[in-house]
Amino acid sequence: MPKLSDTMEEGKILRWLKHPGDQVHHGEPIAEVETDKADMVMEAFDDGLLDEIVVNEGESAKVGAVIAVLRSSAGEVSRPPAERAAAASEPRALPEQQAQTNGGAAKPMENKPTKAEEPEAPPAESRGRVAPMRQLRRRRAFGAEAETDKTVIASSAQPPQALEAEAGSEDGSQDQGPRFHPAMSAVQSAAPTAIAAAPSRPPVSLAAEQHETLEPGDSKLRASPLARRAAEEAGIELGQVRGTGPEGRITKRDIDNFLREQQLFKFRRLIAPREGLPGTREELSKMRKTIAHRMAQSKREIPHFYVTIEVDMEEAVKLKNSLEVTELFEEDITYNDIIIKATTLALSRYTRMNASFEDDGVVIYPNINIGMAVAVEDGLIVPVIHQCEQKTLPEISRAAHRLVAKAAHGGFSGEDLSGATFTISNMGMLGVEHFAAVIVPPQAAILAVSAVKDKPIVRNGDVVVGKTMMLTVACDHRVIDGVVGARFLNEVKRFLENPASLLV
Amino acid sequence: MATARYDLVVIGSGPGGYVAAIRASQLKMRVAVVERDLPGGVCLNWGCIPSKALLNSAETMELIRSAAQEHGIETREVRFDFKRVITRSREAADKLSKGVRFLLRKNKIDYVEAQAALAGPHTVALAPVAGKNAPPAEAVEAERILIAAGSTEKLFPGMTIGDGVMTSKEALLNDHLPGSIVIIGAGAIGAEFGYFYQAFGSKVTIVELEKQMLPGMDAEVAEELRKAFVKRGVTVLLGHGYQSLARKGDGWSVGLDASGTAMMVDAEAILVAVGRGPVSRELGLEKLGIEIERGGFIKTDDSFRSTCPSVYAIGDVARPPLLAHKASAEGVAAVEIMAGIREPGFDLLSIPACIYCEPEVAMVGLSEADAKARGIEVKIGRMPFRANGKAVAVNQTEGFVKIVASKQYGEVVGCQIVGHHATDLISEVVLGKTLETTTAELGRSVHPHPTLSEAIMEAALAADGEAINF
Repeated sequence: MPKLSDTMEEGKILRWLKHPGDQVHHGEPIAEVETDKADMVMEAFDDGLLDEIVVNEGESAKVGAVIAVLRSSAGEVSRPPAERAAAASEPRALPEQQAQTNGGAAKPMENKPTKAEEPEAPPAESRGRVAPMRQLRRRRAFGAEAETDKTVIASSAQPPQALEAEAGSEDGSQDQGPRFHPAMSAVQSAAPTAIAAAPSRPPVSLAAEQHETLEPGDSKLRASPLARRAAEEAGIELGQVRGTGPEGRITKRDIDNFLREQQLFKFRRLIAPREGLPGTREELSKMRKTIAHRMAQSKREIPHFYVTIEVDMEEAVKLKNSLEVTELFEEDITYNDIIIKATTLALSRYTRMNASFEDDGVVIYPNINIGMAVAVEDGLIVPVIHQCEQKTLPEISRAAHRLVAKAAHGGFSGEDLSGATFTISNMGMLGVEHFAAVIVPPQAAILAVSAVKDKPIVRNGDVVVGKTMMLTVACDHRVIDGVVGARFLNEVKRFLENPASLLV
Repeated sequence: MATARYDLVVIGSGPGGYVAAIRASQLKMRVAVVERDLPGGVCLNWGCIPSKALLNSAETMELIRSAAQEHGIETREVRFDFKRVITRSREAADKLSKGVRFLLRKNKIDYVEAQAALAGPHTVALAPVAGKNAPPAEAVEAERILIAAGSTEKLFPGMTIGDGVMTSKEALLNDHLPGSIVIIGAGAIGAEFGYFYQAFGSKVTIVELEKQMLPGMDAEVAEELRKAFVKRGVTVLLGHGYQSLARKGDGWSVGLDASGTAMMVDAEAILVAVGRGPVSRELGLEKLGIEIERGGFIKTDDSFRSTCPSVYAIGDVARPPLLAHKASAEGVAAVEIMAGIREPGFDLLSIPACIYCEPEVAMVGLSEADAKARGIEVKIGRMPFRANGKAVAVNQTEGFVKIVASKQYGEVVGCQIVGHHATDLISEVVLGKTLETTTAELGRSVHPHPTLSEAIMEAALAADGEAINF
C-alpha cells in the first residue's frame, strides 16, 4: 500500500481494476484506493502478471502492507521485497513470503511524503561490492492522481537523477558509498515486485535492516547541521543528495539545488514527453481526462479572442541582473516573478480582466490571485499566488519559490491550487517565439508568455540588438472587448519596459 | 622576460593580489605581479597594519591612564613621544611589506614595479613609475589577467589634501598630534582614528551624515559604540552633513548641516573618512569594453571573470565589502576556479568585518534588519559582557554579543559583537557559519570558563530562550 498523501496511514481498496491473471504494465492503473484525502488511482510500478490479490475490495491496509503480488514476465514466483520486515508487522503477508529466499529487501515505507519511488536493482554487469550510487538511484515513476473540484493535482515522483543515471556513473565522488552492502547484489533484476510496496524508499535503506549500514539520517553521513534540518523539514533523505562541500559534505545549498532540480526535471519531462507506442490506444489518466474536459468546455463555451504584443525586455533584464548582483534577496527574482508583478499592476487598473462570466453577469473579483501553469509529468498543475495586489515583487518571488518547492516534493494545500482569478502560462524556458493559451474556466483571460530573445529592434532610428518577448492574452469576449484587452496588454508592456515601477 | 608569456599576470600586490599570485604559483602557474606602489598594497602600507599599530599605542595609553583609578597602580606624569608612535607603525608596515616581497620571491613570482594598463585581452602594458626601477619591458603577455588594483580614499569634490586636511593615508604619516580634529565619517576608519586621537588627548569631533555611527551596520551595535565614544569624551554629531571647509587662523572651520540647521565646528586638523572607492580608472578597461558597475566596480561573474573572458577581478576593485581578508579569499577562489579545482561562487555572507577601536566591533553575516529585509524570520540571542565573568574580572564590560538566527532552522545567519577582543571572538562564529551551524551546536559546544567566548555560547542559547547566565 503506497502512501498517497502525506498524512495517509492506511488505504482502503475501493476497486481492483486488474484481476489475478491479468497482465499489467508499468504505470497502468490497477486499483482505486480511498485515502484520508481523496479517492485515488494507484498505478503499477512494474510490468508483470497479477498473481494474487491479498487485500480485497472494501478492505483496508496500512501503508507499506502487501496488497497484491506481481509475477515477473519471466514467470518466476512472486516475491515482494520487504517480506521480512513486512511480515513482522503485517499479518496478511503470505506464508511463503516469509521464507528467506530473496536477499534484496526493502522494508515498507513509513513516513513519506506523497511522492513515491521505487528503487531499481542495478543491472547484473554493473554489480559490484559497492554499487555505484547513481545507478542505484534510478527509480521508476509512480504517479498518483486525485481530482478535486477546482484543480487537477498530480503527484508524480521522479527524482532528477534518473536523467543523469547513465552519465553519472563515472563520477568517482558518487561512488564512495560504504552504505551499500554486497547483499545489494542479491537483488535480482528480474525479481518480482509487490505492487506498490515500498514506493518511496531511497536505495540507501535497502540493505539497512539486514546489515549494519548507515541510515540516511545517520550522523556519519557528511552533512551540515543546517542541511540536516532543512532536509528533514522538506522530507528528503540525505542519501539522495549529492554533496558539493569539502569531501562531498552536504550543505544547505545542495538541499536547495536538489529541490530545484526536482522541479526542473518536470520541465524536462515536458520537453521529452512520454512517448506513445505507434498503433496502440492509450487510456487517459484522470488528469488528462480533466484537462480534456475543461479545455474542451472552455473552447466550446468561451468565445476566445487574442491580442499579441511585443515587449522590449532590455530594462527588465537589467533589473533582474542588478537585483542578482546586489544579492538583496535570498532567492533570485525570476522573469516569471517580474511578469506576475507587472500583470498584477495592469490587472488592478483593468479590473474587467480579473473577472468571470456568470449567469449572464460579470463577477469582478475583489483580489488578484494569479495562477501559474506548471508542467508536471503528463499534465499540468496551476499553483496560485493569492492576493498579488498586496504583495511586493520580493514577496511575490518568495511565494512563487515556495510553490515551486511544494511542486517539487508535494505538500500543496488545497488553497495553493485553488482560487485563481487570472492565469499566466509561461513557456519562456522552452524558447518559444509565440503561442496562445486556452482560458481556464471560469476565468476571463489567460496570458501566454514566450521566451526573451535577442532580436534586431529599432531604437532611436538605429537597428540594434534588443531583448524582446511576445505576450499574448486570450480573452473571454463575453466579459472583455478588444479595446480593454489591448489596453491591458499595453499596460503590462508599459510596466515591463519601465520596471522601476515594479519595485515600488 | 620580454617575450615570456605568463599563465597569470596579477595587477596589484595587496592582500588580494599577492595571495592570489602565491596560490597560482602553488598551482604551477607562471605568475607575475605588477605593483605601482609598495608590496602589500594599502593593507600593509596604508591601512590595516600601520593603523593597528597606532591603535595598539592608543590602547596602551588608555590602559596606563586608567591604571591608577582601576588597579591602584600609581604612575607619575604620563608623557609620550607622538613621533615614536608614528615611527613604530611605519616599522611594522615596512617589516611586513618586505615580508611580502620575500614571499613572492620564494614562490618564484616575478615582481614588476610599474603602472599597469590593459592593452589587449592577453596584454598588460607597463609604464614606468617615478622613483622606481624601470619595468623590464613595455608589456607582458598572459593567458589570464587578474585585476586586484584595490581602492583609494574618497574625497569631497573640490577638497584638497594638505595643511592639516588628511585622509587616512596622510594621518598614518602625520607625526604632529593635532590639538583638535574633526573627523568626517563615522565608519570603520573614522571610528578607529577617532579612538586613536582621543586616547592621545586630541579634542575629537566625529561628524556623520547618517543617523547612526557605522552606517549600514547593526543599529544596536552602532549605538553601543556611540555611548562608549561619548563616555571617552568624543563629540559624536549624527545626522550632520558636511557642507563646507574654510581656513580659520592656523586651523579649519567645517560647515555642517543638521537637517536644515547650519553650524560650524572649528579644529586644527580635518580627517576625511567617507569611505573608499575602487581604482578602476587608468587600467585601460574601456579599451577591452570591460563593463564597470555603479560605484566604479568591475563587473564580474560567479567565477570572478569580467566581461572580457581572459580578465578577472577580485577584491576592492570588484565589489564591496572593501576588506583585505575578503580580497585574499577571493584571490584564492578566483585562481582555484581558473585552475578548475573549485566550483564557481563565493559566499560573501561568511566574510567577517572588524573595527579595531576600543571597544572593538566585529560582525559576520546578516544583521537583524538585513535578515528581516530579506524576509527571513529571525530569533535574536543577546548576551551583554557585563554578565560574563571574565569580562567583569578584567574590567572590560562594555558591549555585547548578538546572534541572529533563522526561526525556521536556527541557522546562524549573522552575529555582531561589540566589546573587548570582539575581533578575535568573531572567528568562532565565522567557522560556525561556514559549517552551517545552528544555534543548537553553538550553544551546546562547551566553552572554557572563564573566557569572553562564553558570551557567544550564551547568546546562542539565548536565541532559543535557554541562556543560563542572563
